[in-house]
Amino acid sequence: MPLQLVYLGRNLTRNPLRTLLTAAAVALPITIVVLSSAVIDGISLYLDNSGKQLRLVVINRASIVALLPEGYRTKLEVLDAHRPVYVCGQRWLGGQLPNDPRPLSTLAADVDTFPAVFPDYLLRPGELEAWQTDRQALIVGRGTATQFGWQVGDRITINPSVPPYVPLQFHIVSTAPDAVDTYTLFCRRDYIAEELKRNHYMEDRVSLFFVKCRSASDLEYYRTGIDRSFANATDETMTQDEKTFINQFITQQFDLPRNLTILCAITVLVATLAAANTMSMNFRDRLGEYATLKSIGFGHGAVLATVQAESLAVCAAGGLCGALVPYIAFTYTRLREYHVPLIQQLQVRPVVCLLAVGVALAIGLLAGAWPAWLAARLKPVDAFRALE
Amino acid sequence: MALPFTYHWRNLFVRKTTTLLTVLVIAAVVGTLAWVLGFGAALAGSLAVAGDEQTIIVIRRGANSEGASAVPVADFNKLNQLADLARDPASDQPLLSPEMLVQVSLPRLRDRGRTSANVAVRGVTDAAFRVHRTVRLSGRTFSTGASEVIVGVRAAQQFAGLQIGDTLNLGFSDNRVYKVVGFFTAAGGPLESEIWGDLPTLLSAYNRTMYSAASLRIRDGADAASVIKEIEGPAIDLSAQTEKGYWSGQTSQVRIYLAIVAALVLVMAVAAAFSIANTMFAHVAGRMREIAMLRTIGFGGRQILLGFLLEAVLLALLGGLVGCLACALWLEAIGHTKDMYGSGTFTTLAFDIRLTPAIVGLALAAVALVGAVGALVPAWRAARVQVIAALREG
Repeated sequence: MPLQLVYLGRNLTRNPLRTLLTAAAVALPITIVVLSSAVIDGISLYLDNSGKQLRLVVINRASIVALLPEGYRTKLEVLDAHRPVYVCGQRWLGGQLPNDPRPLSTLAADVDTFPAVFPDYLLRPGELEAWQTDRQALIVGRGTATQFGWQVGDRITINPSVPPYVPLQFHIVSTAPDAVDTYTLFCRRDYIAEELKRNHYMEDRVSLFFVKCRSASDLEYYRTGIDRSFANATDETMTQDEKTFINQFITQQFDLPRNLTILCAITVLVATLAAANTMSMNFRDRLGEYATLKSIGFGHGAVLATVQAESLAVCAAGGLCGALVPYIAFTYTRLREYHVPLIQQLQVRPVVCLLAVGVALAIGLLAGAWPAWLAARLKPVDAFRALE
Repeated sequence: MALPFTYHWRNLFVRKTTTLLTVLVIAAVVGTLAWVLGFGAALAGSLAVAGDEQTIIVIRRGANSEGASAVPVADFNKLNQLADLARDPASDQPLLSPEMLVQVSLPRLRDRGRTSANVAVRGVTDAAFRVHRTVRLSGRTFSTGASEVIVGVRAAQQFAGLQIGDTLNLGFSDNRVYKVVGFFTAAGGPLESEIWGDLPTLLSAYNRTMYSAASLRIRDGADAASVIKEIEGPAIDLSAQTEKGYWSGQTSQVRIYLAIVAALVLVMAVAAAFSIANTMFAHVAGRMREIAMLRTIGFGGRQILLGFLLEAVLLALLGGLVGCLACALWLEAIGHTKDMYGSGTFTTLAFDIRLTPAIVGLALAAVALVGAVGALVPAWRAARVQVIAALREG
């Protein structure tokens, strides 16, 4: 056994430059795989959380920017007394700071039902009281708070990008430390409604309703039931579960998950071909050697294992480097704070790195397969003759 | 004297497996690169058409897109006072267009209506055709006061129910039936993804009393920046951007994503360069004796170096061609058309990804460079072969 390891080590160091270049040609694609998977992973974690929340989103069927009457909330609440739901009407504000072009994602929410519909918010002592008593209360996602350097207690001014178009003052009451969504800002709709009324805009309409259901079967029931009961109303509704609703925005803009998956597949192909190239060059260079091994009695399996082991070792080394570098970079350095659209912070989870190393091993297996098979099937006599 | 070209060409096929694998590596990288370049070029092309510095889009202060904006008629009328506002030479009318922007959700043709996207509906008056100079009608336009619309050609290609004679439901609660009566082009710009109708009827259909935005042209030679300053000043107090600035703002997020993908492709290209280096090292190592022979019969180190570089570039170009071909086939298979949301508009912008000669040229140039970089060290090593030693060894 140790002898075989020595042989493997000697094989790897026989052409160190070639080994190094191959490991690098595998490491770089693996880095791409890790980074892309981390982005996809971040998006799917976010989406999965939305899926688990048992929330439906009700919008106007005409289009997402058309509004719904706020009175629909009562109708939604009493749609089925046996399946109680919490309904939170929200109005889109968007907005920016007065002298900062970065867009904010602000929503004005019904003050009373917000805590019930979004139970991962306002959990820390004092937060709920502040939300209920302060008209200008604002909850800021912690990612956004870090990005702008805000803390609980700060007073900020937001210029909404939709009516009422006037600068609005807010007090930050929470930075949502327990919420999965680190991005969105929530303020109170009664405050916004006042400003809308003062500026002669329709204050009694909302952009969307979040309907928090008790169980998955309730969710399914309301998903179709709501639209049926508002069919032929002045404002027809479109009801989707929260995950589907949010996923639309992701796929409409650039469909990053899909494009990155395709890119990953191509990079893995590149790495496999590059490694296969090295292994086939090695095979060619060592034809005589393999023939010698075969002629002095090593079996198919031993020769096959020799070639495969080398391929696996090179790719594993490349894969480890390729996975470790982004892991360290995004866990221990300043890159950790780098702002990525949609998912805020890029988290390279160990499980993603492990998967990538697994991919690297698969690359090694694949790359070595053909030369290993050729080496195992080698007929010493033919090989020696070919070398002549 | 340089080594003959055929010498390098034939040498590529001495080690068939290695050449094939290297070509495939390069092809994968170049194919992806060509797609990214094509996407970027399509985006830039669409925006370049909209990149008219003489056209200014005016929206409500604080709004980040025409759709989210509301401009009261009184505020709109203040724009008439701009000194630099261009006038139509024929009618002496100011080139100032009041516009309303809403959206309608329509099924995509691409996936047979499985998904739908928001298409912009713009309410316009005659002035719009004079301000947006690229707009050309094919067929007739909507009649004033009638429930008729004309459709941008790209929108018609991508969404169902937008052919002449088709009807679509518009209005505050989707209850007004509009008939498609004509098409228009806008030189490939973003307006081609829109539906246009008569402003007064659309205002009433959507229960609105305010315009969304205004587009205006400034006099030739007038300075856009100073006009924007005047519009944003206390007398008018609206927000203004050149058409170019507005549309590049709307696609800023997509350009970030594209940059991420481009960066990853760059990393892939480095990996490909390593693979080329590996291949070339093997080529050099396998031909030590041959190289020594060439040196003895009078070829200089410089020619050997250039020769191996040329070989690598040939290899890279071969891979590049395969990659471009694969990318072209991929686009042919999944379709050239692509659409996406603007970051603030909630409406879709459609465009075509095509592999133009310029893109293919650029991709091939990039890959030739990668090939040359990858071969630099091996070629240098080849040029420094110790003639006597190599001949003795072989």
